[in-house]
This record gives sequence, C-alpha cells and structure tokens, in this order.
Amino acid sequence: MKARIDRTVLLAVLALLIVAPWLLQSMELEFWLDILAEVLIWSLFAASVNILFGYAGLLSFGQALFFGMGMFGVAIGIAKLGLGFWPALGLGMAVAVGTAAVAGALAVRLTWHYFAIITVVFSLIFYFIALSAKPLTGGDDGTSFSMPAMLEVGDFELSLTDQTVQYFFILSVVGAAYFLKFLIVKSPYGMALMAVRENDTRASLIGLNVYFLRWTAFVIAGGFAGLAGCLFALFGRYASATYMFYHVSGEGVVWTIIGGAGTLFGPVVGTALLIVVREELSNMWEHYPILVGLVVILTVIFAPKGLMGFWNALLDRLTQPPADRAAGGEPHEPREEAAAVQVRGKDRP
Amino acid sequence: MTAPMLEIDDLTKRFGGLVALDRVTLDFEPDVLHAIIGPNGAGKTTLFNTITGMLKSDSGTVKFRGTDISGMAPHRISRLGMSRSLQIKSVFDSMTVAENLWIAAQASQGVMHPFANRSRFGRTAERVDRILELTELERLRDTPAGTLSYGDVALLEIGIALATQPSLLLLDEPICGMGPAETAATVEKIRHLAESVDIIIIEHDMPVVFDLADRITVMAQGGVLARGAPEEIANNAAVREAYLGEEEEDDEPDA
Repeated sequence: MKARIDRTVLLAVLALLIVAPWLLQSMELEFWLDILAEVLIWSLFAASVNILFGYAGLLSFGQALFFGMGMFGVAIGIAKLGLGFWPALGLGMAVAVGTAAVAGALAVRLTWHYFAIITVVFSLIFYFIALSAKPLTGGDDGTSFSMPAMLEVGDFELSLTDQTVQYFFILSVVGAAYFLKFLIVKSPYGMALMAVRENDTRASLIGLNVYFLRWTAFVIAGGFAGLAGCLFALFGRYASATYMFYHVSGEGVVWTIIGGAGTLFGPVVGTALLIVVREELSNMWEHYPILVGLVVILTVIFAPKGLMGFWNALLDRLTQPPADRAAGGEPHEPREEAAAVQVRGKDRP
Repeated sequence: MTAPMLEIDDLTKRFGGLVALDRVTLDFEPDVLHAIIGPNGAGKTTLFNTITGMLKSDSGTVKFRGTDISGMAPHRISRLGMSRSLQIKSVFDSMTVAENLWIAAQASQGVMHPFANRSRFGRTAERVDRILELTELERLRDTPAGTLSYGDVALLEIGIALATQPSLLLLDEPICGMGPAETAATVEKIRHLAESVDIIIIEHDMPVVFDLADRITVMAQGGVLARGAPEEIANNAAVREAYLGEEEEDDEPDA
C-alpha cells in the first residue's frame, strides 16, 4: 500500500517534470523552466551530500570543491582548450573525481567534526587557489564560454542554447544520476555503507574495510557533486570560484537535512522547497535566510529525518490499522524511513 | 596433541604506564571450548582486542591457524575466519535484525557490487534465515536493532558474529544482561555451536563457565595465573585465593 502510494507520487512528479516545458509555456511562466533546471542541478549536488552524510555517515562541508572542479573542468575545457561539448564534460568529471580521490584518501581517515573540518579546509585551499590562478580560472571574474553544440549531424544541430533541449538534457542527466543512486543504495555496497555509518567498529569486525568503503563513498559523492558542477557550468556558460566556497557546501547540507538525509529523494524535496522559497521571498524580504535558519532548526528538532521522514511517518499512520501499529507495525521497508540521521555522539574511541 | 588453532606468544600491551597484557603466552587447541576468567582489569578484553586487531600490541605475536595475524587490520582477521562479539553490545541500530545479519553474512563474500540488488544474493538470504532460526530472533526479523531488549541484542551480537561464517568465535560476556531463562537457553546454544566452531568465551558467571568450558584460563593483572580443566581450576589454591576468594564459595559449581 505504502509502496504503491510512493510509486504513484514518484511517477506523477516525473510526468509533471516531463511536460513542464509545455505546461509552463501555456501558463506563460517560461522563466520557471530555468528555475526548475536549477532545482534539478542543485538536487544532484544535494545528493552528493546525502551519499556521504545520509548513507556513509560523513558530514562534509566541502562538496562545493568538487562542484567547482566540475564547473572549471567544463569551462576551461571549452574556453581555454577548445574542447567540444562531451570532451569538456568528461574533463569536468575527471577533474572532480580525481580531486575527490586524492582529498578523500586523506579526509576519510577522520570522522565527524574532524572530517567536517578537513573538508572545509580542502575547499578553502582550492577556493583561494582558484581565485589566484587568474590566467587559468579568470580569478574574480571567472571563466565564461560560448556553448558548443551537443550533437551535429549534417545540418542538424542539437545545442543547449535551446531552452527546452537544455532542460531535457539536465532532466535526463539528473534522472540517470538518481537512478544510479537508487541502485547503489539498494546494493550490498549500499548496505555496507549504512553498516559503517551505524557502527564502524562492528563493521570492521564483520570483515568490512571501513576505510576503503568510506573512501569509495567519498569518490562517488565527489562524482555526483562534480556532475552537478558540470551541468551548472553548461547551464550558466560560466564557471566561478564563488561556487567553490564552503557556503555553497553548507547549502547542500541544509537542503539535504530539511528534505531528509538517508532517504533517496529527500535532497530533491529539500532543494526544491528552499530554492522556491528563495525565488519567491528574496525579492520581498532580503533577510529571508533568517526564515530558512528557523526551518532548519525546527526540522532538526521535530523531524530529524526531514520532510521525507515526516511523509513516511504520515503514510505509515494512514495505511496501517491501529492494532498493527501497536504490535510493532508493518514489516519495515528497509532504509527509506529507517535511515534516521543520527546526530548523536558517534565518535567512538 | 593437535596443533593449536591460536598461538599467542609473548604478547604485551601497555596503556601508558599500565601493563594490560604482560608477556602473555597462550596456546588454544581446537575442538575444545575454552573459557577465560579473571577479575576486572585482568586483561581479558584487552587480549581479545589485541587478537582481533582492534588494538595493536606493543610486542609479541599472534598466530591463527598458522598465519601470523599480529598487526593485521580487523577486517582482514575477520575474513580469515575469526569472529567476535563485543562486551559492550554493539549492533547496527537503525537497521533491522535481518539486515544486521545480512550485511554480516555478505561482508566476507564481497560487498563491492554497487549495482546488484540485495535480493539477488540467495545464499546470503539462506544464511540469514538459518541464523534467525538458531538465535530464535525470527519473530523480530524486521524490527530495528536499536529497539531490541538487552537480551535480544546479546543474541543478535552472537548472530552477527556467526553470520560471518567463522571457524573461531570469541565471545565476550555473551550472557551479560540476560535473565535466568535466556541464560540457560543461550548456554545450550553455545554448547551446540561448539560442535561446529571453535569457541573462546570470556565470562564472569562462574556457574556458567564451570558448566560450559572444557578448559579454563585464569588471568590476573595482565598475566596468566592458571590453566586447566574446570575441576583443576576449582581446586587450584592460587586461583581460589586470587580470584574465586573464600567468601565467594557459593559461586563454585559444585557448592
């Protein structure tokens, strides 16, 4: 029952996302299509935070570093190296994943606050490098480029300069990435990550290589953030060190927590909500982040599993006869709702 | 005598000025249920921690079935077939009982299948079912481990250790926190397990130890005080004085 409702909602949202360009056009709200594209990109970024925090139990404030690496990979690839669309995308991913592999090897030796601190430090280091490497990155001004074609066959040319093409390109990449995330979460590897999150001592005693698992999660998360960065560079035809700053990382963490860390779609929900809030409120009230801060505090206190956790609890209440509930409830569909974000002392000696 | 499965040679572990293990040399032969007893602070758990790689020894070697495992990482030692339960119960809290056992059963078989759905691992699922049956946790299979009673967590601890398919099981106070009925049932289970896997158990409950063990090692102050069959230990003057104590007479099995 519950799974059916979830599936229905998911399909409905997907259908809406697919018809969105025509729907918004008919409502004369075309500019919302770009906002929608932006929401998709940033929810891919939030997915990166979620893989680390929600599933592997590592709170990173440095995911913007890999986002920025993806951005610069694409922008420098196109503007400075004269690469085409796909090679530039490949370069962005390679740079982001490569950086994550190196940074991760050091960072995952630490956990909790130490891990959070080292991720901030890494992203600050690269932020300042990007600012000062003016010939390569453009420094304060960033690097902009003009969009190469995605596909050219004879006279036919497919390019992101068309708003609808761009939207569908972003939608399919983000959709594919979320499908990948779904597969990962449902796999033995995903279960092993959760075991490491829950209890790393026990995990190592049953034969799991905790360090290696954390490192691979870090690299995968770096890949997700990097892909989001590549998309954002293509979307804005521009790369800037601003997006490497840990402030951006923090936004990803906030979106993930509000939406529900450790749930598949929590990051999408959180990102969509807060970006819409930003679009709607920032014109009216410049201090709207106060409201966002308040929502975060309330979420952490009253709904530690975020909006998705709230939704799951609500569905459980509605779909379960009261007697069942008292008796411990319906067999508990693994992970989606069980993966509480546990903000308790985890740093065991 | 058969070759020992576990050979501990001259093992020393210091915590600052405190010598927790003082040049311990011990052999454990296979097919015998071993118990380690000793007063608090004798070094029993430190011995387990050092054997399983959770702590690095300062000197000395540990050999497991002929392989030198001194200084090896815990997950590698685990994959060689040595498994343990922890004194302070420690399971995967937000995962269900079945998931706890599932990951333990799969861990040694490899978990780097990022795209294979968990339901495809039939052998692992069978193993989980077997252990649920053995530990009588079947009724709790979909309950999050964090909400279990203390006695059930203790059973799950043993279940997790078993799920890794060990050839040697180290149990650190497995019945601690259980009621009398649960204790009796668990002791029977351990006796039954001992037929198929080598077991070394640390336990404070003297009646249980003397009932269960074939061979007892008494530790005190980081060293080995005595070893022998239960009746030898019960009659050993040094042990009685240092550990069992005259005032604890009624702790002995035959009292």
